[in-house]
Amino acid sequence: MTSALLDATWISLRVALTATVIDVLPAIALGWWLARRSTLLRTCVVTVVSLPLVLPPVAVGLVLLHGLARDSAGGRMYEAVFGHPAILTIDAAILAAAVMAFPLFVLGAREGFASVPRRLERVAASLGASQWRVLFEVALPLAARGILHGAVFAFARALGEFGATILVAGRIPGETETLALAIYDRFQHFEDAQAWGFVGVSVVFALVLTFAAERFLRRRSA
Amino acid sequence: MSRFALRATYPGFTLDARAAFDAPCTALFGASGSGKSTILEAIAGVRDDVAGEVEIAGVRVDGLPARARRIGWMPQDGALFPHRTLRQQIAFATDVGGADANDATRAIDALELGALLDRRPHELSGGERQRGALARALAARPRLLMLDEPLAALDRPLRARIVPFLVRVWRDLGVPMLLVTHDPLEVTAIAQHVLVLEAGRVVREGNPRGLFPSAVTFGGLLAMSAENHFVVDVVGRAEGSLRVRTPLGLEFEIASLEGFPDPGGVSLRAEDVLIATTEPHGISAQNVIPATIERIEDLHPARMVVATASGETIRARLVPKAVASLGLEPGKSIWLVIKANAVIPVPKH
Repeated sequence: MTSALLDATWISLRVALTATVIDVLPAIALGWWLARRSTLLRTCVVTVVSLPLVLPPVAVGLVLLHGLARDSAGGRMYEAVFGHPAILTIDAAILAAAVMAFPLFVLGAREGFASVPRRLERVAASLGASQWRVLFEVALPLAARGILHGAVFAFARALGEFGATILVAGRIPGETETLALAIYDRFQHFEDAQAWGFVGVSVVFALVLTFAAERFLRRRSA
Repeated sequence: MSRFALRATYPGFTLDARAAFDAPCTALFGASGSGKSTILEAIAGVRDDVAGEVEIAGVRVDGLPARARRIGWMPQDGALFPHRTLRQQIAFATDVGGADANDATRAIDALELGALLDRRPHELSGGERQRGALARALAARPRLLMLDEPLAALDRPLRARIVPFLVRVWRDLGVPMLLVTHDPLEVTAIAQHVLVLEAGRVVREGNPRGLFPSAVTFGGLLAMSAENHFVVDVVGRAEGSLRVRTPLGLEFEIASLEGFPDPGGVSLRAEDVLIATTEPHGISAQNVIPATIERIEDLHPARMVVATASGETIRARLVPKAVASLGLEPGKSIWLVIKANAVIPVPKH
């Protein structure tokens, strides 16, 4: 395995894993909220949250680019906290991946919570359980399968992210060059043999994730 | 003394029920859709669309959240947590209910659950699940234990085996019970006081044995627990049976009893109505009635198929699996199959 391939693999994993971890809390909280509401507000929130799924990724990238630019409020806030600009760093790649993966995580969590019969939560409350205990000891364990499904697909989406990432993080070998960016670059430069190497690693990841989701997370038929 | 006064309005249904009760076991008795489960859920504090007052064992609880009411509530299927063993469920109830572990031990002993504690719900039989849910509810040391049709999901032989356990709850453990049922046998077997509910109102109450005159006790109770009621005239007679007709022309063959006057009406329990999607032949049931499905109501977990036949409305209670396997849907033509013995004659007033 070449150094570029190792770097890209490591960067991709780091970006995808960190993006998924960043999404965990907001995705679970929002998924729970969405599963328990049936108002117009819920429909509006789902619509907005799903935007990264339906918009061209480069469009999302352009929005992020403006939101993180040094002269923007977001960019200034980021620089004040981390001491350096966000754009063209791995942090920007992580943020882009987190935004693109978020809808899949939220929708998975929502399905997970929606599959938990409200009766069980109500019985837990009637036994004397607080809302937090109902959430952590009844709803979360029973929604875990859906949440994990969401997490796996969010991770997979983050791993393959390209359009938004190239705009906000660029392609800096060894720093922001993920597998997806590397494939595109090698293809552009007629380095097909190398491109196929990156494709091979991507295929392995895709197979492992899909197999794991199907084998361990698919709801057993009744 | 416990009492409730509850009000709610839904499309096509108004709940306006009030009653006071003090017996060790009180039954809330009525047909499907009469508001029994709604009352239980409102008392438990798990639904916020019902207004009114609830006082349990002298304590006003209607302003309290469900977790602070200390009212045990057991839905029809028991609602055990599928991811926990029975031991974990009971420990959870003891913990969140702030109860003494001795309460849980007494419940486990009384309900004979010692050998089942390390099983999860899917490893338990229907009756064991009901007993497990009972023990869990009791482990939280409730002021009142409310059971929503605890025997409805069980077959008849199993019901008979569970009844003694229900009796032990108030007799041996001293926990007062409010029992929802539409089965008159359960009322007479378990309860000392009965509240009869019709269309969202408590229309009668008292001792189950004294409330209904003896001559019509069982038939009267059966008829009151039925979902289908028709005014009829007798239009034909045969040995051991009568043919009756409603004003709109729907006819039933019903069993007749020597020495009893002709009925002025008939009642029919929704669970006694079978549905066939093709016309059945060669069966003993005397009533095979062509009908059309008007709508299917979700009574969780049961389904109520509402059909029209000769202009009359007939309700049939089915399990969801039956509705799915027969492909039942509004507008579909079906045959209602009813035994003559399932049609309950109601005397003329």
